[in-house]
Amino acid sequence: MSVLGRLLNREDPHSLAAPYALDALEADERRRFEKHLARCDRCVAEVRALCEDAVRLAWSTAAPAPAALRERVLTAVRTMPQERAPAPSRERAPHLPPHVWGTQPPPARTRTPRTRPLLLLFATVTAAAALVVAALFAVQADQTQDRLDAERAQAREIAHVLAAPDARATSSEDASGAGIGVIASASEGQAVVTLSGYDAPPSGRVRQLWLMRPDVQPRSLGLFDGDTPLVATGLTKSATSLAVTVEPDGGSEQPTSQPVAQLALKSVGFGE
Amino acid sequence: MDADELLVLVADGDQKAFEELYGLVSGPVFGLVRRVVRDPAQSEEVAQEVLLELWRSVARFDPGRGSALSWILTLAHRRAVDRVRSARAAGEREQREARRAHHPAFDQVSEEVEAGLEREWVRRCLERLTALQRQSVTLAYYDGYTYREVAERLSLPLGTVKTRMRDGLTRLRECLGGAA
Repeated sequence: MSVLGRLLNREDPHSLAAPYALDALEADERRRFEKHLARCDRCVAEVRALCEDAVRLAWSTAAPAPAALRERVLTAVRTMPQERAPAPSRERAPHLPPHVWGTQPPPARTRTPRTRPLLLLFATVTAAAALVVAALFAVQADQTQDRLDAERAQAREIAHVLAAPDARATSSEDASGAGIGVIASASEGQAVVTLSGYDAPPSGRVRQLWLMRPDVQPRSLGLFDGDTPLVATGLTKSATSLAVTVEPDGGSEQPTSQPVAQLALKSVGFGE
Repeated sequence: MDADELLVLVADGDQKAFEELYGLVSGPVFGLVRRVVRDPAQSEEVAQEVLLELWRSVARFDPGRGSALSWILTLAHRRAVDRVRSARAAGEREQREARRAHHPAFDQVSEEVEAGLEREWVRRCLERLTALQRQSVTLAYYDGYTYREVAERLSLPLGTVKTRMRDGLTRLRECLGGAA
């Protein structure tokens, strides 16, 4: 659609309420409409009513779910952590209610709050790969489309590493419970690296991942973006370990501080 | 317990409650996803994503804004539509439809299985819409088309489709009102 067309079509965002309720907007239109909703109190009630109407169309479609689905879902749930912290709510649909984080006391049940679904990988490397990828997708419900696309692309890369016949996992944890985990395939020269239990780095700083090899300078494998797993490529067989340091924003050529985490790669098929 | 009560327990990490909730919602979720996505294997995949998302993101549910089942089905519909659109964009849809043309049995079978009071009620109310209202609403909701695509398929101006969708939903509300 042309820019002119979009401008003309903007005259009445209100008219998009019904298509929105039916999930009949294109992704960018949906985002624009939700932006409009955030500023339009009178729209919210109407949109909510239309959404309730639309849901009634679902009443007639119920069908027994396959038995295997029940088994998979209930098994996955046994090891899958629930969201506890507020997700960035840039895209909030009025009928997908806002987070109630902070308005309720944290549940008494003890569960590592920062555990990410990727940690599942360490327990179930290949058998549950499909489930894990599904879980990764599921976490992203509230993200913007661009970020979602990027993360789905990343989930595909992770699935690729997982699918390698020699994919293996290892992890280490320090006394405080902060840890680093990796799933690596020596044949693919790829690894998925996650950090867990660390506080956010200080403002203006970032965590950088390094590949350590004997007699060679450390090589940067990339920067961590929050809790998001990092996919490292081009790992050579001679790699002995991974290290994480805290560096100025944008990363450094070479590490400028002591590692905050280290992990030997011998058990996942490297270090030859 | 109903879905709303169960959701409170699930938000507290109660796996038994989730199992019970699964019993209540897996049929509606799977049926809706399959109605939109059509392909049985892909439907199962999307339903799985939705049910796991339900477990993970249950804290996002706000009982002040509607029923648990509405929330869950809204989530399921959004994911199903996302899937069917990306599949369509990839051209898989056409291939699948071509295959389905040779195996018309699937829809017939599912309609028999799904026959029920609610189904009957919704169908009756849909029949009371004008043809254009009905087509605009069902092409979007059950087939996952955007309103632009609906306009194209029905050879209608965009504005007309938007209005038909709104009128269709409003008349549906009037017709189903007592059944809520």
